[in-house]
Amino acid sequence: MQPHLKRAFTLLALVIIAFIFVRALVVPASFGQYGWYRGDSVEDTRNRPVEYAGSISCGEENCHKIIYSVWAKDRHKTVNCETCHGPSEKHVGNVRIMPPPANDSRDFCGLCHFKRAARPANFPQIDPETHNKLKCTYCHSPHKPWFI
Amino acid sequence: MDISRREFTKFGCRVIIGAAAGTAIIESIVTNSSASENSPAGEYDWNEHYWGYVVDTRKCIGCGRCANACKLENDVPFDEPVYRTWVERYRTLKDGEVKIDSPNGSIDGFIDDIPAEDIKKAFYVPKICNHCDNPPCVQVCPVGATYETRDGVVLVDYDYCIGCRYCIQGCPYGARYFNSEKKTADKCTWCYHRITKGLLPACVQACPVGARKFGDLKDPDSIINKILDEERINVLKPDLGTKPKVYYIGLDREVR
Repeated sequence: MQPHLKRAFTLLALVIIAFIFVRALVVPASFGQYGWYRGDSVEDTRNRPVEYAGSISCGEENCHKIIYSVWAKDRHKTVNCETCHGPSEKHVGNVRIMPPPANDSRDFCGLCHFKRAARPANFPQIDPETHNKLKCTYCHSPHKPWFI
Repeated sequence: MDISRREFTKFGCRVIIGAAAGTAIIESIVTNSSASENSPAGEYDWNEHYWGYVVDTRKCIGCGRCANACKLENDVPFDEPVYRTWVERYRTLKDGEVKIDSPNGSIDGFIDDIPAEDIKKAFYVPKICNHCDNPPCVQVCPVGATYETRDGVVLVDYDYCIGCRYCIQGCPYGARYFNSEKKTADKCTWCYHRITKGLLPACVQACPVGARKFGDLKDPDSIINKILDEERINVLKPDLGTKPKVYYIGLDREVR
C-alpha cells in the first residue's frame, strides 16, 4: 500500500476508536435498553410520589366510615373526596399530617353549580344572582346534597 | 488502468466484506445489546397493557377540578400559565362567530361574559396530551429525551432533555410546555406513576361528572373498550396521522 494511503487509514482508524471511546463515556448505560431513549428514565417517572389517594382509602379503614357511607349513597358519590378536600395521600400514610380544610365557599360550589351557558342543561345549576346569597353549606350538606 | 476482472472482483469483495464487518463491530459496541423485550423492574409488566383515554364532552361542566388536580399531583408550576390538561370553552354566537377561551386553564372556573341570549351553542372540551401512537414530538427530539413506552404512554426524560423546545413546537395539540423550574420540556404522563400502581390518573379521579375515562385497550372488558364499541367517537385532527389515543365523544366540528 502506498504510504500516503497508509497514513490516511491509520488516522481514520484512530478517529473511529476515539469516537467509540468518547461515546461509551458520554452515553448513559441504559440508553437503548428498550428503544432510542434512556431506559432508567421510565423508572424515574414511575417513582414519582402519589398525591391523590382516592376515596376508597378514606372509607376502607375505620377512619371515615360513617361519612363515607353517607356520601357513597347520595348524589355526590361521583365527586371524589379529594376533589373538594384536596390531595391527601400524605394524610393516609400519616394521620398527623392534615390536608388543608375543604373549601366550603360559595364560589367553590359555584365552580360546578353556578348557571353557565356552556354547561349541559340537565346539570343542577343555580342562578347566583337570584339564589339565596348565604353560604351554600348552611342549607345543603355537601356529602348528602338533597337533604336540606 | 490495467486491472483484470478477477483482480477487480477480488478487491471489491474484500472491500464489501470489510465494510460490513466493520459496521457490525462498531454497531455492536455502540448500541446497548439491542432493545430488550423485558419490562423495567417491578410487578407491573408494560407488555400487558396499552392505555387509552376517553373524553365525553357532553358531560363536562367546566369546573376545572381536573386541571387543578393535575397541577397538584404532578408538581406543575401552579401560578404559571402552563397546563398538562385544561378545559376549553367553545361558544358559537348568533352572528356565527366562534369564541374559544380557557382562562387559567379552567382552574378558576368560567364566567359568562357574553349574555346567554347572544349565544347559539356553547360547550366545554377538556384537552390533554393525546399520547399519539405516531407522536411528532418524539420524532423531532434531537437527543432521545422523549419516547413512547411499550404501554403507549409518551414520556419525557427530565435528566436527558436539553430544553431546546423543539417538541413544544412539534406538538400539533399544544399539549407540551416548558417547565421553568426543571428547565426542560414537560407534558402529561397520564400519571404514569399512578397507572403503573393500579390507580387512575389524577384528572380522571378528580372529575365529578365522569367526563374523563381511562383504561386498558388490551383488556376487552375495560371501560374504554366498552365505550369505543358502543359510542360514536372521534379523535382530534385525525388527518395529521398522529393516531391519538384520546378519544372524544360528542366532538364538534369547530374543535381543533
